[in-house]
Amino acid sequence: MTPPRPFDDPLSVLVIYQLVAPVVALASIGLPALLGRPLSERTTTRVVGAAFTTSFVAALVTLVMIINRGFAAHVVHLGSMFAVGHHAATIELVADGLSVPYVCFSTGLCALVNAFAGKYLHREPGFTRFFILLALFGTGMNLMVLAGSIDALFAGWEFLGISSALLIGFFHERRNAVDAAMRAFCTYRVCDVGLLAASVVIHQATGSGDFATLFAGTWPEATCLVPGTTALTVSLLLIFAALGKSGQVPFSGWLPRAMEGPTPSSAIFYGALSIHAGAYVLLRCESVLDAAPAAAWLLVAIGGGTALHAAIVGSVQTDLKSMLAYASMTQAGIILAEIGLGLRVVPLVHVISHAILRSLQILRSPSAMHDRHELAAALGGHPGSSDWSLVRLLPRGVGRSLYHIALERGFEEAVVTRLVVLPLMAMLKAADGLERRWTTLLGGGSTEGRMRHDSSGGMP
Amino acid sequence: MPKDHADLEQMIAAAARFLPPQGPIDAFVAQNPLQGFEDLPFDEAVVRAARLYNAQPFLPESDYRTHLATGRIRVADLEAVLARDLDGRAGEPLAGGRITRAQLQRQLLLHGVQLESDTAVRWTLTESDAIERLRDDLEPLVRGHLLETDAVEAIADGRATRTAEPDERVASELWHACVEATSVSRAAVVHLPPPVRHRDLILAIAPTLDTDALVHPLLIRMVAAYLDQGVASWPMPDRDRGLLAAVAGVYSGRLGPVAPWSHPLPTRLRAVRDAFDRGGEAQVIALETIAAELLHLGLPESARQEFITQSIVALRGWASMVRQLEDRPDRAPVEAVPARIIDFLALRLILDRTATEWAAGRLGSGRGGTHPPGVELGRLWTELRDRYPPRRGPGSLSRAFLIHQVSQLVGLSASDIRSLDENDILGFEREIATFDAIARRRLFHLAYERRHRVEVLDALAVHRRTLPPPPAARPRCQAVFCIDDRCESFRRALEELSPDIETFGTAGFFAVPMYFHGIDDWHAVPLCPIVIRPNHTVTEVPEADAVADHRFRKAVRRSIGKLRGEVFEGSRSLLRGGILTSVGGALAAVPLVARVAFPWLTSRITRRAAELTSRRIPTRLDLKRAGDQRLANGTQAGFDLDEMAAIVRRLLEDIGLTAGFSRIVAVVGHGSTSLNNPHESAYDCGACGGGRGGPNARAFVLMANDPAVRTALAAAGLTIPADVVFVGGMQDTCTSGITWFDTERIPESHRAAVDSLRSLCREAGRLDAQERCRRFDSVPLEVSPAEAVRRVQGRSADLAQVRPEYGHAGNAVCVVGRRRLTSGLFLDRRAFLVSYDPTADVDGLILERTLAAVGPVCGGINLAYLFSRVDPLGYGAGTKLPHNITGLIGVMDGHASDLRTGLPFQGVDIHEPVRLLMVVEAPPERIRAVLDRLPGVKNLVVRQWIQFVSWDPESGDLAIQEPVDGELAFTPFIAESESIPVATSSAAWYRGHRGNRPPARLLASVPAAPQGAASS
Repeated sequence: MTPPRPFDDPLSVLVIYQLVAPVVALASIGLPALLGRPLSERTTTRVVGAAFTTSFVAALVTLVMIINRGFAAHVVHLGSMFAVGHHAATIELVADGLSVPYVCFSTGLCALVNAFAGKYLHREPGFTRFFILLALFGTGMNLMVLAGSIDALFAGWEFLGISSALLIGFFHERRNAVDAAMRAFCTYRVCDVGLLAASVVIHQATGSGDFATLFAGTWPEATCLVPGTTALTVSLLLIFAALGKSGQVPFSGWLPRAMEGPTPSSAIFYGALSIHAGAYVLLRCESVLDAAPAAAWLLVAIGGGTALHAAIVGSVQTDLKSMLAYASMTQAGIILAEIGLGLRVVPLVHVISHAILRSLQILRSPSAMHDRHELAAALGGHPGSSDWSLVRLLPRGVGRSLYHIALERGFEEAVVTRLVVLPLMAMLKAADGLERRWTTLLGGGSTEGRMRHDSSGGMP
Repeated sequence: MPKDHADLEQMIAAAARFLPPQGPIDAFVAQNPLQGFEDLPFDEAVVRAARLYNAQPFLPESDYRTHLATGRIRVADLEAVLARDLDGRAGEPLAGGRITRAQLQRQLLLHGVQLESDTAVRWTLTESDAIERLRDDLEPLVRGHLLETDAVEAIADGRATRTAEPDERVASELWHACVEATSVSRAAVVHLPPPVRHRDLILAIAPTLDTDALVHPLLIRMVAAYLDQGVASWPMPDRDRGLLAAVAGVYSGRLGPVAPWSHPLPTRLRAVRDAFDRGGEAQVIALETIAAELLHLGLPESARQEFITQSIVALRGWASMVRQLEDRPDRAPVEAVPARIIDFLALRLILDRTATEWAAGRLGSGRGGTHPPGVELGRLWTELRDRYPPRRGPGSLSRAFLIHQVSQLVGLSASDIRSLDENDILGFEREIATFDAIARRRLFHLAYERRHRVEVLDALAVHRRTLPPPPAARPRCQAVFCIDDRCESFRRALEELSPDIETFGTAGFFAVPMYFHGIDDWHAVPLCPIVIRPNHTVTEVPEADAVADHRFRKAVRRSIGKLRGEVFEGSRSLLRGGILTSVGGALAAVPLVARVAFPWLTSRITRRAAELTSRRIPTRLDLKRAGDQRLANGTQAGFDLDEMAAIVRRLLEDIGLTAGFSRIVAVVGHGSTSLNNPHESAYDCGACGGGRGGPNARAFVLMANDPAVRTALAAAGLTIPADVVFVGGMQDTCTSGITWFDTERIPESHRAAVDSLRSLCREAGRLDAQERCRRFDSVPLEVSPAEAVRRVQGRSADLAQVRPEYGHAGNAVCVVGRRRLTSGLFLDRRAFLVSYDPTADVDGLILERTLAAVGPVCGGINLAYLFSRVDPLGYGAGTKLPHNITGLIGVMDGHASDLRTGLPFQGVDIHEPVRLLMVVEAPPERIRAVLDRLPGVKNLVVRQWIQFVSWDPESGDLAIQEPVDGELAFTPFIAESESIPVATSSAAWYRGHRGNRPPARLLASVPAAPQGAASS
């Protein structure tokens, strides 16, 4: 199948526009800021708002056209980075029953967050920076969603990761915020290895990164084109990639910490968009997952485990945003489990529906006092903690221990630190020392001086 | 060791004094965050407090310099405060008698020369021509003097050649002299007192080993879980046994790996748990734990007080919440838990010791194993204190450069410097060093306040001289408002619209201290100043014919509430959540889009809908009591006749309204409505303890209209004519609108008059909204009054709006006196106006009770704003954007920070931090006598937490309180200006301006068409 050339039909133009609009917004507010003359608050919000709103409208129109075509995928070939023999890395966009509804909802949410943040961040020193990051986030999101090849998807995924991390560290003068951003970033990077490796495996197996060579057919009834073992490898790698972004056990520690940024950014990345990126990638490659039942069951286990973990931990959180973060995590786990169980449309609807509800809850989380008092007034008293009456049936000691585990977030952090972070750091340090020794040896320098330098640079 | 524990208890109590006085956030009362320092003079206290809290005592020096450049501070102000500050020491000779101290300090203030590091000086020397030129900002006389000295010397030396610019030669010659002068001596080494906490000592030598960074996240989790008022659906077990017991119970389990530093923790907490399980008394166990931990930490007796203070203050938001809930369990938002500050301290010390031991081990391993793990912390403490790095004195280059710059400013030439001996130079340097940034900022602050004080007092004096004679006719209407600074613009607008309206100001609980149980409330809340615990409870009940209606509605509301609660709870749970979010979640798109994209429209629709569906049920207050009717909370149900008469009498006497009543007397309380604002109650009425004053106004009106009360009052000599009708209302300071109460009870004869008052108030509300809108950057300056009302209503209902209103921002003045003296004066919503008639209060009894309430309330509000603005991070709550509601009691920044106390930056960014200028219309003798009976207020006045001014009711003379040897003393105020700006109307004066406007005399106190005043 030869993909139609871009710009020769309105559908392609619309799809390209959805990607270009946030890029243009990014450039038009980013460049003046780079030159030291940032646009006014009003213009900034208008530019970003216009980009997201028009891209939302374009996505809606695309949706209608796609529905008319019976959800057949429309591929836009933008060009190829390189091609060697059978190998090619191409840049393609695909509009189908999965990507278009997803773009509709992500651009719509970004537009709303933009409108909210324009007022919320009024007179804040980082005003322009926030909107640059928002535009970057939107660009990454749309690129990831519309990507027709694993390479483009990876690029979008990375934009998403870096802008999320920077938004978490928005108040970079506060230590907690920077630590949290760093933690999120590191988690992302570790898990990104999965996506990168998956892309290498796909290239190796099919000679191209195009999804068209990986699976064929209309989403969600596509069939996998690669053999079972490759499918299993790819699936496992993709699941690993999804663990980080979607805050699944054991990589969920960054999520509750991610609320260091301003409220509107929290809404998009841990309530709505970023946390579901993993689910999107798995939905995109669902046919590969179908071909690897073992991986699917693993996904069910991880998702279910995360949901249970988050539900218990979430029930003892005492601050609104942590509570909402764990509530999001619960649903993200359920959604992954749904995907693992072979459902397709259900998780897509679940993602969109959950994201909208959670965004509203996060955006109005500062109203908690108000809402609580109103609720208490209606009920004639504050709602009790009846939910946990079952816990009270447990022996006292067991109940306390369970509470302890929940309050300490399942000791997830301590375990990950001990089993992953410390060994990883030791390994990196060892590799670093080895490298130094080798370079010194090869360079013919004195070993002593280097060694001393090495030992003084230890991490606490 | 019982004696030991008594000492310990005393130390803990002394330490807890330094905690910020802030209770749960749903009743935010603005108070002085430095209450623990009130026994010190203001300017000393702020410096001491800044050290303890690691905060800023004054604004940054650069801010003051900007004010100096824009004229907000004048040079004359600086000179005046400097002269007063130096007093007898002004003329002391420096530099061998060539200059005086006053000269030096003046120049340092004006030019901001400061000691730079050697590196910085080296850069300046190589990259600029600073030592080859005289400074540009020298005063002409000084420059002339320097050049002249040089010329004379040149002639004497016989080198009168014109080879170089004289300017250049003078500067470089001076530089050489300075280098020579500093090369022979060494600057003194400054020894800083070493800190007392192990954490700070360790941090000083190992900057990455912060034990607080280990302890705080855990401690915050523990305390937050303990104090939680209902965010978590699974509450902490055993909370009724106290913080220490509950935490020990949970954390002493043998489960799970923990962070490396906290390995010994379960064992230690197990010991505490066992003590509780053996049935020990909580108080004793906590004290014994503290004593034991202090022993382990190895602190000498002498350092304990300081150590305890700093340990408590290190996490002061949470600690203060524990203390507040211990002190006032009745103010817990939902359920009181037995919080105790000793539990907090015991827990903190257990964690501190564990972390310190771990850190000491690491410190040891990095330093050749002198401290194996399990080291005696006492030895470590002593050793680290001995090793505490002294601050090195400045290098000779930076000293020379400083002297070079200062010498130019004060006109010391090269030969002057050369003629000084070593001691003179060192003395000169010491003199510059003692006049450090804090000293300069302090003087700048005084000058900053002085300019404002002079401006206001000049205006008051001038305005008083131009007062029209008091009107003889009976006023059309009288209206009593809260003293709140926000009511100033509303009262002024009302008076401008209709000069025959007389307004009054009094503390907005209207002398009715009560717990109020509204018809829609789930429990009774206290509505009175925070210092009072009410003895009465008033309940709002439906009218007899609406009882059935009410019951039905309550049931409906209950079901809707249940549903909403279910949805919210469900959305966070596992199974219900899955179904709920996937099936119903998309429905949230409707409110999400509506609220975010169309906030104003949404708010209008919801308000309309609310109006249509829930026409307010007619209610009445269950106010009257006969005999003894004690309720479960220990208070009386309502007021009896004597109490009501006393309340009415007291209020009317307070405001000086005992005769000359108009037919209508309106009593208007206030509150504020805003969405998505955890600090909403900070905008409510301070005199109602962060509640809304409407019910108080309503109750007062019912009392004052009661024929029985009137009879009782008449018997006691206060006659309210029969044709006088009181009406009550509540003003929403966020939307600028007034809701009126019990209008159906107004007799037919007065309906028309009340209706016309209500429409006047609507018009005044529009002007008020317009005046407020000028402060909002996002509202165009030329907004019309009608549009302004839409804007402020929109802000009040907008989820994204972080500045629904500006609260008390700007507050700076409090006038206690007759409104006649300030009516017609534009005070820019910056003045608390307290009505007081000095002519009817010769013995000062009324003044006494007025000051007793007004002094702490207004002073507290003022100081809360002042400190939150001076240091938004140290004293204020920082920016609102990352705020995260915790436990329904406060906000954190992000996921695990200290509870943020103080006001958010978005509420104070336009505030001018000056101490309250309290002008009291009474002669100094009366004030002196009254203050002698009010030690608390007197302390605030004498220690200058309030700028206090006496305004003689007879002569109009103003006298400023400036203590002499710590005793109250008044100095006459000398006016600087004989005229003040005049404007045709308020609107004419404020339109087109965003910033503060100086006081102006308004000519528009003549009747004008309602629109006329606004569209000029």
